[in-house]
Amino acid sequence: MSISKTEIEKLAKLAKLSFSDEELERFTAEFDEIIAFADTINQSIEGGTEEIRNVGARMVSFDDLRADEVMPSLPNEKILSNVEGYNGFFSVERSKK
Amino acid sequence: MRTKISELAKRLRNREISAVELTKAYIGAIEKLNPTLNAYVHLTFDTALNAAEQADQRLKEGDAPLLCGIPMALKDNICTDGLNTTCCSKILKGFKPYYDATVWEKLKAHGAVLLGKTNMDEFAMGSTSETSCYGAPLNPRNTNYVTGGSSGGSAAVVCANLAAYSLGSDTGGSIRQPASFCGVVGFKPTYGAVSRYGLIAYGSSLDQIGPLTTSVKDAAIVFDAIKGGDKLDQTSVDYDYGSSLAESLDRDVKGMRIGVAEEFFDGINPEIKSKIEEAIKLIERNGAVIESIRLPALKSALPVYYIIACAEASSNLGRYDGIRYGYRTSSYASIEEMIVKTRSEGFGDEVKRRIILGTYVLSSGYYDA
Repeated sequence: MSISKTEIEKLAKLAKLSFSDEELERFTAEFDEIIAFADTINQSIEGGTEEIRNVGARMVSFDDLRADEVMPSLPNEKILSNVEGYNGFFSVERSKK
Repeated sequence: MRTKISELAKRLRNREISAVELTKAYIGAIEKLNPTLNAYVHLTFDTALNAAEQADQRLKEGDAPLLCGIPMALKDNICTDGLNTTCCSKILKGFKPYYDATVWEKLKAHGAVLLGKTNMDEFAMGSTSETSCYGAPLNPRNTNYVTGGSSGGSAAVVCANLAAYSLGSDTGGSIRQPASFCGVVGFKPTYGAVSRYGLIAYGSSLDQIGPLTTSVKDAAIVFDAIKGGDKLDQTSVDYDYGSSLAESLDRDVKGMRIGVAEEFFDGINPEIKSKIEEAIKLIERNGAVIESIRLPALKSALPVYYIIACAEASSNLGRYDGIRYGYRTSSYASIEEMIVKTRSEGFGDEVKRRIILGTYVLSSGYYDA
């Protein structure tokens, strides 16, 4: 299984990333190796996998849900303290038309 | 010289040393060694000294828990209210969380003294800690060697006695492997045993927080302090262990059946193999029954980890857009361009590689996504 440069570009677009041509070449080459490695998962497992069970699943019933009441939450100003240049609004550069 | 938690707790109680003096001793050691080792990336000495003063007060009053006044460290992906938490990534530089992770809240209630946040692979993606945006930490046992990763800083601070213990996180070996590289004890608790609320997510169905310590007993002591179900992490479980893990270590192994998986010994270093075999013989001599078992699915563990962790990472890391926190690119012509440039400049290569692989896994078969 092999993956093309165009496909990587398409994935980058989905992931909101951009790559230079040099990065794109490098990533495409590395990708084939990674996919080949991930593909080894298709090799059959001796003895089968019937014994592999999900032991972590927990059912949540409606009785477990809390009442829909207003609970204390974090103050707005604290949450917004990490926003760059916040002055009551999220400020960004003016977009060019 | 590495010191055990129980020894430090005894000295604090015998008034041989105060928590403030102990904290100052650790601060002195950090100031001397950290410029070389690069094991801490954020230092929190003021917070530490305040906590130490409070710990001394509690110790004086007489009912302080074992961890009270003991200086420790947290990995840089565990949220600490108002204190830098950056996952060692440029995209989170300067980020100060607005709440505490549950594990940190619990340790604070025990009177823990936080010295700082430790170096790690960017977003915990790696096994040498070299993908950190602050540069790699060095192995205190030999500075030509890596610390392992991703919790490399957490292993190094315990190894160099720059903290009595630390917390790390483990998704695919990130506590256990650096602990091994630095010759300390690392423990990944069972998934669900410890709340991950406030742990910055990487691969959510594998991430788990655990201790790095100088002894097995210490790992159990720290685990006992952080374990338990939490309403804020729906995957965590309240489990009745019967006793504390630290107490249960004093029981003998007589009559226990212990499985040894053959697959664990494939391709293992002979020196390590003989050490493990010695340990198995010791346990057997003390009355445990050793049984050889097979885990044929083990060979799929690494590719399965890679697929699951990357798929989850591509989704978890979708939140970094430069709008609400962290790094934002300096020039852009549209919101779309701002987000794309912020992410492309803010994430390192290994993180981008895993996001792309995860996007591939999640979109495969949906070409028009």
